[in-house]
Amino acid sequence: MTRKWLRWMPAVAVPAVIAAAALAGSLPASAGDPLPAKTPAEVLAMVAQHSAPSLSGTLEQTSQIGLPELPKTGPSSGGGAASALELLSGPHTARVFLDGTSNMRIQVLDRLAERNAVKSGDQVWLYSSRDNTAAHLTLPAGAGHARDFSDCRHPAAGADGVMPTPEALAARLLAVADPTTEVSVGPEINIAGRAAYNLMVTPRTEGTLIGSAAIAVDGQSGLPLSVELKARGQEEPAFKLAFTSLSLEAPDASLFAFTPPPGATVKEIEVPAHGTGSWPGHGTEKGVVPDSRDPNGGLPRPEVTGTGWETVVEFPAGPASAEAGAMASGDPLIQQAAVAVPGGRLFSTAVVNVLFTDDGRVFAGSVPAERLLTAAAAR
Amino acid sequence: MPNRDVAKEGAAGKAAPVEVREAAGSSAAESPATGPIDGMQPGNGWSLLASELSVLFRRRRTWAMLLALAAVPVLMAVAVRASSSVPPGRGPAFLDRITQNGLFVGVTALLVCVPLFLPLTVGVVAGDTIAGEAGLGTLRYLLVAPAGRVRLLLVKYAGAAVFCIVGPLVVALAGAGIGSALFPVGPVTLLSGDVIAPGEALVRLVLVAAYLTVSLLGLSAVGMFLSTLTDVPVGAMAATIVASVVSQVLGELPQLEWLHPWLFTHYWFGFADLLRQPVAWDSFGSNALLQAGYIAVFGALAYGRFVTKDILS
Repeated sequence: MTRKWLRWMPAVAVPAVIAAAALAGSLPASAGDPLPAKTPAEVLAMVAQHSAPSLSGTLEQTSQIGLPELPKTGPSSGGGAASALELLSGPHTARVFLDGTSNMRIQVLDRLAERNAVKSGDQVWLYSSRDNTAAHLTLPAGAGHARDFSDCRHPAAGADGVMPTPEALAARLLAVADPTTEVSVGPEINIAGRAAYNLMVTPRTEGTLIGSAAIAVDGQSGLPLSVELKARGQEEPAFKLAFTSLSLEAPDASLFAFTPPPGATVKEIEVPAHGTGSWPGHGTEKGVVPDSRDPNGGLPRPEVTGTGWETVVEFPAGPASAEAGAMASGDPLIQQAAVAVPGGRLFSTAVVNVLFTDDGRVFAGSVPAERLLTAAAAR
Repeated sequence: MPNRDVAKEGAAGKAAPVEVREAAGSSAAESPATGPIDGMQPGNGWSLLASELSVLFRRRRTWAMLLALAAVPVLMAVAVRASSSVPPGRGPAFLDRITQNGLFVGVTALLVCVPLFLPLTVGVVAGDTIAGEAGLGTLRYLLVAPAGRVRLLLVKYAGAAVFCIVGPLVVALAGAGIGSALFPVGPVTLLSGDVIAPGEALVRLVLVAAYLTVSLLGLSAVGMFLSTLTDVPVGAMAATIVASVVSQVLGELPQLEWLHPWLFTHYWFGFADLLRQPVAWDSFGSNALLQAGYIAVFGALAYGRFVTKDILS
């Protein structure tokens, strides 16, 4: 009988070993040398000082902002808004290749498909393998490199298949850091095998949906390695974008030389001379990405009420917001996500609420829905 | 009982293999079942493997399965050739690329075969490993030495693994062959939009087949374990195929997201990462690790079951 039991030992031992290995892998790896302690200001300075480096890495995005998860297979719905929402909801993986400030390539790795954005000098190519289409645009010569960069990484650019990098999101979060916000450096964390400072940003007010934000800053290079946004009362991050692997060596130069493959449908995109980064056909995204503060000629000037984290942005009735409203009621996806409330439709996520009123105005903010309704009723 | 199964299997295909088995086993047959562990000469293992492979690949069933797999790309290429152009974004991924480049037939056919056809054939082979011998009554002849059980298990698994290599390769090469016969062959567009030469594309195609081979090894281990549980080969085959389907269904349920990385089907469609530029090897590595885990767990289970089992047939 004991012999029989011995024979079953491997069948018991192997799962035990695997479970132990899985547990050990999930524990934070103990770093060799702890990073020297730094104040939030010093960490911020590190971020500010670091110049766009050469790197190649893999970014992982997860989000639980309360949007319905979209099917990953099947034909893409094509609409710019749907594609932007698709990027925001559900998990995504992207590879990023940077070579200085002038060359960049971002690959959003979809299931059996890929979306590419390649920037080489002032030439930008967008390619989607799902429908084999490419788009080309030449950036205006006047726009500085840094400007080009921020345009390409702007969340609004997500509509064209580019995920925002941690850097762009970090800059956004730090811009709103003011007396309403508590900024501190949390315990050291490990991202993509690198020791990093964890910059914690916590709103001092209860009147916002955002619980806290955290930015991991590489202890050596000052490069933001991850961005995490937590909604109030949510245990899991509402949005998380982090490197899972990172190498600071210059990627192969051939990666940035893109020519559209034979048979692809190529579309030339005219960039307006002032180069706002808002590409034609995607103006409607402004209603969906409400915190995009683009100076945009197409929209009437939005009115801002409230301060700090409780800011509510109001887009008055006009052709652009009417278009956004029509889209909100027409697009089945947004229709599914938006609920009818007295006086309009509310598009609600864990971190942002958008209210499309029946008379064509749009209210947006990281505030509870009641505040948007009050703001709408007050006018 | 053995007679019934032999009759069911068809005597024509079966008579020769049984003879081969007995010839191969005869060298180890000298030591009685309770004797010392002396059947481990390397020559025995290799001759047993050679005999296993020759039995496997002389079976009509194996040939029928390989032909059915090869028929998938052929049917697909002929259908696309006969019809007008496929609009992009319809049908399985890459289908619209076939008309531009024949080499895509191989990739598209592999894509179509991954969810069902390949697991089906592998399930038949892996489910048959032990239960098939038991059902035929030949198992006890193969197990005359005490150490023979472990060796037989290893040889049986190696046989199933060879089929895992051959299956995807047949689909890929049949696809590349029929594709180059019916469509122009030229530079191949990868998912990233980069273009590579046909020679390199063929390398990528073989890499994709290798990825699927690795993907199917875990299922083979599951099948072999199930095969040790029963004397009815059809039961083990069906259970193996059901296991692969259940795993894929569980993988589609977002409520079970925590479970997904542990399912052996989790990385099955990750072969697309080999069609990116540069190649994303992450999924290849994760897949290999996952499958190795399944091989270890179900190999150990199969060992535990098989060496403690009373072999009556």
